[in-house]
Amino acid sequence: MKYFFYQMKKHPLSIVGISVLLLWILIAIFGPQLTSFTHTAMDAEHQMTAPGEFGHLFGTDSMGRDIMSRIIYGSRSILTVALMTSIFSTIIGILLGFTAGYFSGKIDAAFLRTMDILMAIPPLVLSMVVLGILGDSSILSLTLIVSIAFIPATARVSRGVLLTEKSQEYVSAARIRGESHFYIMFIEILPNTTGPIIVEATARFAYSIMMVASLGFLGVGLQPPTPDWGMMVIENKPIIAQAPWAVLFPALAIASLVIAISIFSDFVSKVLIHER
Amino acid sequence: MNDNILDIEHLQVLYKTFDGEFSAVRDVSLTLKPNESIGIIGESGCGKSTLAFSIMRYLAPNAVLDGKIFFKGEDLMLKSEKEMSTYRGNRIAMVFQNPSTSLNPALTIGFQLDEVGIHHQNLSKAKAREATLEALTMMNIGDVKGTVKRYPHQISGGIQQRICIAMAILCKPDLMILDEPTTALDVTTEAVILDSIKALKDSLNMSLIYISHDMGVINKVSEQVVVMYNGEIVERGPKAKIFEHPSHPYTRALINCMPRGGVVKENAKLNTIKGYVRRRGLVETGCPYAERCDSRNETCEALYGMRTISNEHYAACDRAYAEDVEETVKKKRIPKTRVQIQEPTNLLEITDLHKVYGNKRKVFAVNGINVSVQSGSVLGIVGESGCGKSTTGHMVSGLYQPTSGAISFEGYDISLPWNKRNSETLKDIQLIFQNPGRSLNPSHTVEQIIGRPMKRLLSMNSPLERREKIITLLHKVDLGKEYLTKKPNQLSGGEQQRVAIARALSISPRMIVCDEPTSALDVSVQASVLNLLNELQIESQVTYLFISHDLNVINYLSDTIMVMYAGKICEYGKRDEVMNDSHHPYTEALLSAVPEVDPTKQKDPIRLEGQLPDPAKKPKGCPFAGRCHVQVGAICENEYPPMVRLSDTHHYFCHIKPTT
Amino acid sequence: MNRTLSIILRRTVSLLITLTVMSLIIFLLVEIMPGDVAQMILGQSATEEAVSALREARGLNDPVMERYFRWVGGVLTGDLGESIYMKGVTINSILWRRVGHSLVLALSAFILFVPLSIILGVLAGVKENKPTDSIISFLGLATMALPEFVSGVFLITIFGVQLNWFPIVSIIPIGESLFNNLEILFLPALSITFVMFGYVSRMQRSSMIQVMNSDYIRAAILKGMNRKYVIFRHALKNALLPTITIIGMNMGWLFGGLVVVETLFGFPGMGSLLMTAIKTRDVPLIEACVLLITVIFSLSTMITDVLYSYLNPRVRFQGGQR
Repeated sequence: MKYFFYQMKKHPLSIVGISVLLLWILIAIFGPQLTSFTHTAMDAEHQMTAPGEFGHLFGTDSMGRDIMSRIIYGSRSILTVALMTSIFSTIIGILLGFTAGYFSGKIDAAFLRTMDILMAIPPLVLSMVVLGILGDSSILSLTLIVSIAFIPATARVSRGVLLTEKSQEYVSAARIRGESHFYIMFIEILPNTTGPIIVEATARFAYSIMMVASLGFLGVGLQPPTPDWGMMVIENKPIIAQAPWAVLFPALAIASLVIAISIFSDFVSKVLIHER
Repeated sequence: MNDNILDIEHLQVLYKTFDGEFSAVRDVSLTLKPNESIGIIGESGCGKSTLAFSIMRYLAPNAVLDGKIFFKGEDLMLKSEKEMSTYRGNRIAMVFQNPSTSLNPALTIGFQLDEVGIHHQNLSKAKAREATLEALTMMNIGDVKGTVKRYPHQISGGIQQRICIAMAILCKPDLMILDEPTTALDVTTEAVILDSIKALKDSLNMSLIYISHDMGVINKVSEQVVVMYNGEIVERGPKAKIFEHPSHPYTRALINCMPRGGVVKENAKLNTIKGYVRRRGLVETGCPYAERCDSRNETCEALYGMRTISNEHYAACDRAYAEDVEETVKKKRIPKTRVQIQEPTNLLEITDLHKVYGNKRKVFAVNGINVSVQSGSVLGIVGESGCGKSTTGHMVSGLYQPTSGAISFEGYDISLPWNKRNSETLKDIQLIFQNPGRSLNPSHTVEQIIGRPMKRLLSMNSPLERREKIITLLHKVDLGKEYLTKKPNQLSGGEQQRVAIARALSISPRMIVCDEPTSALDVSVQASVLNLLNELQIESQVTYLFISHDLNVINYLSDTIMVMYAGKICEYGKRDEVMNDSHHPYTEALLSAVPEVDPTKQKDPIRLEGQLPDPAKKPKGCPFAGRCHVQVGAICENEYPPMVRLSDTHHYFCHIKPTT
Repeated sequence: MNRTLSIILRRTVSLLITLTVMSLIIFLLVEIMPGDVAQMILGQSATEEAVSALREARGLNDPVMERYFRWVGGVLTGDLGESIYMKGVTINSILWRRVGHSLVLALSAFILFVPLSIILGVLAGVKENKPTDSIISFLGLATMALPEFVSGVFLITIFGVQLNWFPIVSIIPIGESLFNNLEILFLPALSITFVMFGYVSRMQRSSMIQVMNSDYIRAAILKGMNRKYVIFRHALKNALLPTITIIGMNMGWLFGGLVVVETLFGFPGMGSLLMTAIKTRDVPLIEACVLLITVIFSLSTMITDVLYSYLNPRVRFQGGQR
């Protein structure tokens, strides 16, 4: 724990990153209380107003909607989906990866084959096609589809970590006590794998945001009235010359959030590596 | 000005770390003459490697050096990095412990050797290649032209190390530093390399610094011995004097920790050193060994300093045989008396046991062995890497399933893997592993580790009951109650192994398979673990299957010995029969290869060339044929030798009959 | 048989199996799409009979597996079918030109990011913890985190709107070819480059650091070789090898990035075609595009694997004696 603060002092950048992340989380939780505008109110008289005018801190878009409110409301959905996706894909990844790595042989071979096949399609393309076909992009279906696209990666990491631990002698010691497979996998091995898995989960969190934003950009993300940052970019792109802020602010929101999470993930890996 | 190769004056190396500053080398002064060979012996943390790297001026960035290092009159401490690079590999060369990681896997052997000549002596490519081939031939490597084209991973460990040595001698250096170069190798391979090193020293007129934890190895290569403890030199002198009459208590204690010929469990316990090495801060002064010393008295801190014992023999203390303190070393070594409690029975019977790994690419690990083990005895299984001893141990304990053959325990067939064995069997046979750090789950506490087998196999479900028993077990292995909540990474290697032993004992097994349990430990720690194993065995009459590659350890602890080679038994018999009256050529070669701690003992060298037979091929004939120094002809290669019985308890497999 | 050859053979077989299964999945996935294909062709106002007649004519009432094999048969003979949305237009006529454009775009991005990531990654690794490293590492972290459309938007704003150096949309005027309008490639390629640079340079850096800390580098330095020589002749070979694998592993992001970037810039490539196909529920076009993307992606992964096996002495030359 002491090392946590030591590393923070050594890399001041991580303080910035973690603060930004916390800021976004706070915005997501308390944000809506802060704006006077709603995210859907369309003000025909104040379309494409520049930031600062008429009380719109970030300006308005082509339909007169307040951009700042839309960003604040959008933060909730994007963070929720990303969080659920990273948790879900990590858990399923652990279950699949551990089983494949532990039992080896045919089960492992089948697992690797399946993952190979799933990985033959780029994840964005897969999600895009499925969501586009299904038509409906609720928070649940977004979470589910993106998780499926990510599972080959998380499962691979889990399998790798398990294989490393499996060859350690304490696993053999457990075997000659006659422990059950479940006990060995989850009581003996799992506690020693938390480091790499947590790092991977935080990285997944960052990728999830990127993925959800990209899907929104492609039009298959969350549908109106829920504001989607990616969607905000594509909707306002035609007016980028006249009202660049309508595109820039959502883009900056995405960038800042993902960079903050990446810095956080990097920092977590530095701390956890030392612990070993 | 003298003509010393090396003059180290008051060297001090400090490391600045997250946890504070500590000194790795403290006030070390050393001289080395031309063509002189010294061996530096010490256990982990003594600073011997740091000393070596200091001479090369290659330390981590957080190291702070002080003092002078004169090489042929020039102070190396004043040299820039660029200047140092003209010395390295050229006037001072170094050979490392692990040859497979010291060679670049992406470059051919030839390239890695040629570059030394090209770089230091400005040779042309052709001339450099000539020098390379010459150096390789000097190291007795066969097929030099083929070797230079290969990559490191295509070559075996012993030859890799010879290549590393060849690299070091290319420029005919004045000083060669060897940092545990043979520790990772088999003892027969080691013997060959030690011979070459000795020959090279004389033919090239080099000075050597040989670092090792093994006194026997140092005796082979050096005339002078330097003993280091916790960053300081505690004694230096000719090897015979050091062995006969060590003056520093640490030296004396260390020598008595080493198992060797003549020292067996019945006549002496191994000496142990209480406590353990700890890091020293910057301001600490005084004798580093005082707190662990048996001969300590009140004046120890004040009278600290290097004294002259005799010609060429110096020590930082002369109290090894002090009379004002009780003689504890001799007392410690009084062995416990052995009492036979029960009638010995045939506890374990192994019949024609085979193990073959793999489907397409097979590995024939164990090729038919027969042995039986009496209850209450210790069977030592000895052999080099690839002989199948670990595999045999794993089959007995249930980690592997035999491919064919039978293992029976108390009459019941246990040729089953662990997941098919019943609780009784699991309870009766336990295993202690080589690497204690890895055999304990790093996330569990000591209490959980020792308690779990009791919960699982003895159905002892009350935590309080378990805790009581755990505390008793901890006392048995000389650990206190405070260890209950510790995690493995807070323990030293020796403590970890004790916890592993306590864990194995917790369910009172009838037999424990000990798979190289002391190979990863320092000599003094190894001694205490061996003593412990011995005492526990005397007390509970448990049977041990003791597997090791170290013949001295086997000699100390075993009642019967089984020598294995390439998956088959070469020789089997009572300890004294095998050690003193061996008949199998491999046993003889093995015995002659083991380096002697006592420098006055001479041995007939039997040097084996060649390698193990290919484990991917089904064995035909005697596995040792081809390397055997007394091979009688084609019959050795074509027919598997018959068993020759020398007595009820002693037999071996060879075509050569004993000369009566 | 030559080891490399046998590896290629095995991977090709593996690839074919993957593609077969993939094609089935793609086909089935698209088939479960709600909405009636025949209806879409004829429009809302069509009569019931006309719709069912068309369904018969197109064989849409046949069982799924039959339709699948018909499709696969068509694909193998080079007939990818007709677009539904663009009535009567064969897919072949529009797809291949677009594939070419996308490949050019991907290649441009490749040329940009591969040398840049490797050089800067190695530099950062060699100068670990010094200012150079901090700058490069931060750049890598930042660019890694920018989805392609975000960096694209920034680029458009700066270079397109404010500075007016590059066009803000990347369309090719009708009648002209891509090669007359190469300036439209720059911003899209740069957007893709950012993400890939972030990733690859960071991995390259840690690979370099690991190599520089290895025993064999220590041995080389202690043989008296100077630092520059050690870096170039000893370290690089070992540090670059994993990079090939890393680039291969990240091809997925590259392809995903293509889709996003083409949509943002209006670039006439495979990605934007797929987007259009999905929006218009153009079933045959969706199937063709996804299949093609999968084929190219799998091929590129296979090529990187084979390249790695060839260049790694440990894999290429079997371990000899024990």
